[in-house]
This record gives sequence, C-alpha cells and structure tokens, in this order.
Amino acid sequence: MRTVILKAGATVLTVAATALSALYVTAHLKNPAAPLQPAVLSASGATTLSAPGGTLTLGPSVQPSTAHPVTSTYAS
Amino acid sequence: MPRKLEAHHFEALGTNCSLFAVGLPTGRLLEGEFWVRRIGARLTRFSPDSELSRFNASPGRWTEISPELESLLGESLHAFDMSSGLVNVAVLPSLQAVGYTRPMAERQPIATELRARPVPPLRDVLAVRPGAARLEPGAGIDLGGIAKGWMADRLRDWLGPNALANLGGDLSARGMGPVGDGWPVGLGGATVVLRDQGAATSSVRRRRWSAEHHHLIDPRTGLPARTGLEEVSVVAANGVEAEVVAKTALLVGPEVAPAYCAAHALAWWLSP
Repeated sequence: MRTVILKAGATVLTVAATALSALYVTAHLKNPAAPLQPAVLSASGATTLSAPGGTLTLGPSVQPSTAHPVTSTYAS
Repeated sequence: MPRKLEAHHFEALGTNCSLFAVGLPTGRLLEGEFWVRRIGARLTRFSPDSELSRFNASPGRWTEISPELESLLGESLHAFDMSSGLVNVAVLPSLQAVGYTRPMAERQPIATELRARPVPPLRDVLAVRPGAARLEPGAGIDLGGIAKGWMADRLRDWLGPNALANLGGDLSARGMGPVGDGWPVGLGGATVVLRDQGAATSSVRRRRWSAEHHHLIDPRTGLPARTGLEEVSVVAANGVEAEVVAKTALLVGPEVAPAYCAAHALAWWLSP
C-alpha cells in the first residue's frame, strides 16, 4: 500500500511540475514578434548604388564626389 | 592661395605605391619611399634574411623582435579577434601548400593538387610581449594580408596633417585633401571623399595562378577561398581596419557580407 502511495505521489508531483513549468513559460514568453536580426542590418542612412560588376554602399560619413580621384583602392 | 599637391610614385612590396601630401617638399615623400623599402625588407617572407623569416625559423622559444614587428604582430592578434578568426596571419604553411612560395613577379606559382591544411587559431600559436614574441613549432606567419594597411597608416601620420599613402591599393588618408573637402579616391567605379579614413580592397582576381589557386586562404579550410564574392573594397577608420574588414567580408560571403560591412565599414563595394 505504501509503495503505491509513493508511486502515485511521485507521478502527481512530476505531472504538476511539468504543468506548472509550461504555464510559467507561456506566461513569460518574450515578444514573439521580436526581430531575429540586429537593427544594424538595415544600415540606416546608407545609400546603395548599383554599378557594373557589383554594388556600392555609402554610409553617411562617406560622400560621393565628381572630382577626379587622386588615387584608388584596388587589388594588388 | 591653395598649397601645392606633391605626389610620388614608386614600386615596392611587389606592387605600385603612391604618396601624396599638401605643402610638403618632395624630399619628404622620397624619405617615405625609403621607409617603405626598409620596413618591407624586414617584413617579407620571401627573403630568408628578413626579420620575419628569422622569426618564423625560430619556433618554440621567445625571440627578440623590433618595435615594428611587435606592433604588427599585436595588430595581427587584434585582427584575428576582430574577424572572429577569419583574418589569421598564421596562414603561411597553407600558402606554401597551395604553391605560393615565391613573389608573383619572380615566377608564377605552379598549380599543385589542393590539400586542405586548416590554419591553427592564431592565439594558440603566437604570443607577443614587449620586445619579444613566440611562435609554436609547425606554425608560420605571413604578414602580406595586413602589413600594407598598417604601413600606410604610419606613413600617413608621419607625412603630416594633410597626406595620403597608397601601398598597393591599401590606403590611408589624413586631412582635408588638395582642395579642402577631403581626398577624392576611386572605390568600386565611383569616387568618394576620404577624411581621416582608410580604404582597402580584398580580391581573389589578382595573385591567381589557376581557376582554383589564388592567394586568399580561408583559415577554416586552409584552401583558397570560394565564397561567392570575388572582390570587396571597404572604407573604414584607418587602413589596417579597412584591410581586415574587406578580407573578412570576402570570406563570409555574399549572404553575410552586407550585414558585416554595415556593422564595421563606412562604405563598401561588393563584387560577386
């Protein structure tokens, strides 16, 4: 008889703990609509220009110019 | 009255170099060339007598090094951290394994069978302390991917408040340029204006000797990188940072590079 009571008690405790945990997690769910990517991905303020062979993106601190370049960055 | 723009062009480090400065005598730019040649001779892996080669040949013990090599090795560790391990100067054994054993100008490397030789994490094989450094046995350092940007930054500062140093496309600009609105520089087919900034290009289109063999090793595989990007140019706070960001962006590939550049660069050119 005592064994049966112990088994039943353990089962009730386990089920209760599982149910309470599930309720707690559901009640404390973080915003499910939160973005998975950081906001920096949008590169706010950046300008993207299409050019033959690739894309050029300029952040707000780099300005385009119509002046003749004195030199260039290139692969060497 | 605007001051005169002085320019000096020369070949060094296996590539073309240009120095520009406003209001400086030409002799000062010539001194800059001498400095490039002197430091370049110390840092090349192609000469057995260079300081870098002697360091590579002394693994397993602390070796005295010059302040310049100490600074560059420290910068290399920083680049390794900043790129999450993708910019790794311990790439020398992998470069040699794919056949890049001599300067390209001297002889085209032979396209050998590609064998994966993953690069060890830099912090596992390199330690630096004031005046000395230690390399673990089996490791080797190649500074080709970081030295030009580092040198351009130092040259720029040494040349004065309004100067630009371009060492093989890795460049560093300081001041307001020849007409006072910054230094106009070509980047990805456009012209942008740099003020106290650096720019660099990483590409697998140059230093290439077969469809599969080129100089840019992906440390994750130890093989020439194949990521879907062939060329990346970047503007960043200085030359060495631009070099590190450009190389990292190329290695992470076209899916991640825009986000990585948005977080680390001021402007960027991505070419598949």
